[in-house]
Amino acid sequence: MIRADSLRRRLLLAAALWIALGLAAVGVLLVLLFRQHVEQELAERARVQLDALIAGLAVEPPSADAAAPPHLRLQREPPDPAFRQPLGGLYWLVQGDGALLRSRSWWDTLPEPALAARWSTLDAGATGRFGATGPGDQPLLLWARRVELAGLDAPVVVAVGSDVTRLRSLTRSYALTVGSALGVLALVLWGASWLQVRSGLAPLGRLQLALQRLRGGQAQRIEGRYPAEVQPLVADLNAVLDDNERLVRQAREQSGNLAHALKTPLAVIGNAVTHWPGEDGALVRAQLALLQRQVELHLVRARAAARALDSTPGAAAGTPVSPVLEDLLRVLERLYAARQLRFERQLPPQALRVAMASDTLHDLLGNLLDNACKWARGRVRVCARVEGEPGAAALAAIEIHDDGPGIAPEQREAALQRGQRLDERQPGSGLGLAIADELVRLHGGTLALEGSELGGLLVRVCLPVR
Amino acid sequence: MRVLVAEDEPALARQLQQALQAAGFAVDVAGDGIDAEYLGRELPFDAVVLDLGLPGKDGLSVLRAWRAAGSAVPVLVLTARGSWQEKVLGIDAGADDYLGKPFQMEELVARLRALVRRSSGLASPVLTLGAVRLDTRSCTLEVEGRPVALTAHEYRVLAYLMHQRGRVVARAELSEHLYAQDADRDSNTLDVFIARLRRKLPPGFIATVRGLGWRIDEAAA
Repeated sequence: MIRADSLRRRLLLAAALWIALGLAAVGVLLVLLFRQHVEQELAERARVQLDALIAGLAVEPPSADAAAPPHLRLQREPPDPAFRQPLGGLYWLVQGDGALLRSRSWWDTLPEPALAARWSTLDAGATGRFGATGPGDQPLLLWARRVELAGLDAPVVVAVGSDVTRLRSLTRSYALTVGSALGVLALVLWGASWLQVRSGLAPLGRLQLALQRLRGGQAQRIEGRYPAEVQPLVADLNAVLDDNERLVRQAREQSGNLAHALKTPLAVIGNAVTHWPGEDGALVRAQLALLQRQVELHLVRARAAARALDSTPGAAAGTPVSPVLEDLLRVLERLYAARQLRFERQLPPQALRVAMASDTLHDLLGNLLDNACKWARGRVRVCARVEGEPGAAALAAIEIHDDGPGIAPEQREAALQRGQRLDERQPGSGLGLAIADELVRLHGGTLALEGSELGGLLVRVCLPVR
Repeated sequence: MRVLVAEDEPALARQLQQALQAAGFAVDVAGDGIDAEYLGRELPFDAVVLDLGLPGKDGLSVLRAWRAAGSAVPVLVLTARGSWQEKVLGIDAGADDYLGKPFQMEELVARLRALVRRSSGLASPVLTLGAVRLDTRSCTLEVEGRPVALTAHEYRVLAYLMHQRGRVVARAELSEHLYAQDADRDSNTLDVFIARLRRKLPPGFIATVRGLGWRIDEAAA
């Protein structure tokens, strides 16, 4: 389906129009030329025949009795047998003052009387061309010449005619041949212009595909060589993209830096107002908590967005799960040393990689494990394995169990809402589960909260395998 | 207990100093990484609060330098960044605990106490020895179930000796762990504090090891 305002449609319509008009003009011209040529041939033949006829004319002098006027006689008939055959297609005629000589081919027909009036206007010695109806209603072309013969008072009209039915049918068949040849030529030309438009517009198609890949995130720039007319456009587009990416990166870095820079003053203010009494104190502390949450939220967003922009090969290659879990468990064992938590682990093979940047995976699993440790009474369990058939559809299922109080089934959905904190007693920004959920979904995975076989919460994270 | 606070933001450093002093710690402050590394290497701290974003030399490098020099002082890392990859780096560099800014001062104090206890092999925040019960959270002393009032200095002496129970603590060591660098030290005042403490504690709880120092026995009382 070609849209009404497409360049291709415009170009093809224009091509069809000029091909049709041009070839039609050529066709008409060719047919006219053909007819003219054939008529010239006929006229030439008629002239020769007229000359022969006139040469063969003889004026018989008036006979001795003087009663009979001088009369015409044709001494030699033209040799073409068509003149002697009735309705033979070739005719001659000599009309003098009261005398009419004609070829046998006229048979029993006489030339229409109007003709005599028409050729009486001819100048002496001039040859005229007339249309007429011949015997058997044949359309005739007549060439007539008015000559003055010695011995006669009045000039004589000598005419030679031929049936033009054949001429017409010749012209028609010629026109048909020319028309069909031109039709084929039109098709070929139109096909050629279609190919031309196609190959001319192909770079635009490629450009569109490149833009789609760009929007789909599979490419960062428009790659490849384009024709000289399109290349500047591509270069400009790339420049805009680069500018854009640089601006976005700067903005994200700045928002990240801002968030970091705010944290220390926030800590100072928070500590200063901890024991501030009265309503004012409560108000300041509440607002401060709000501020801290916002800072944390935007920091996480800036970080996640910066990673989404990350085009390093490492980001595409994915991150192995086991080393990350080992890193995190080593940290948590140290951080929760006083609690003497028991960490149980069923780690996947080293080769299992998920489609997530290393620092994102660290943050995601770190926050989830930290959560589990905060709530656990004594045990935290991590299991990771591959689910689904190997290949593109395979998922890495990472389960984090704890033996803490868990979350009641009806509260689990609320726990994934941004900013919800089911319990204010444990320190934290209240963004943990919601952010984890957002991160997982951004990477095409799922996060589910369930009851654990250990008695507490089970967080099941499924991520696409790389 | 003597603590090094390595923090470049003066307001936060002052708050940390005040809060830790109120919690019974002697506090030294370093404002940059170079000072921090020097103080941590040269002085016998019982714990360190280390900000990672220090000017001069970053916190992780400072920490690695201490660990490379064989120091086992418990270190609580304080950071604004707080990504888990950074935590892994910090722990692998030898940090013992990690706290992201902004933080609750109570939490920091509690974690720091826990670090000090753990390095002494003690699990509970309440140090109990016979009839003597010292609560490190509230800095209060109970003897045979009755609360006994302690001054801040008395608490520090007793807390240090109880953390080092079973070991002879020399006069110089006790002095080093009780006073910050800039504090006015008079070793005679130690004798005064010990004498006052002995009046509040069961007899023989603090033993004098002549020529060496003092000791609280595990089997005391």
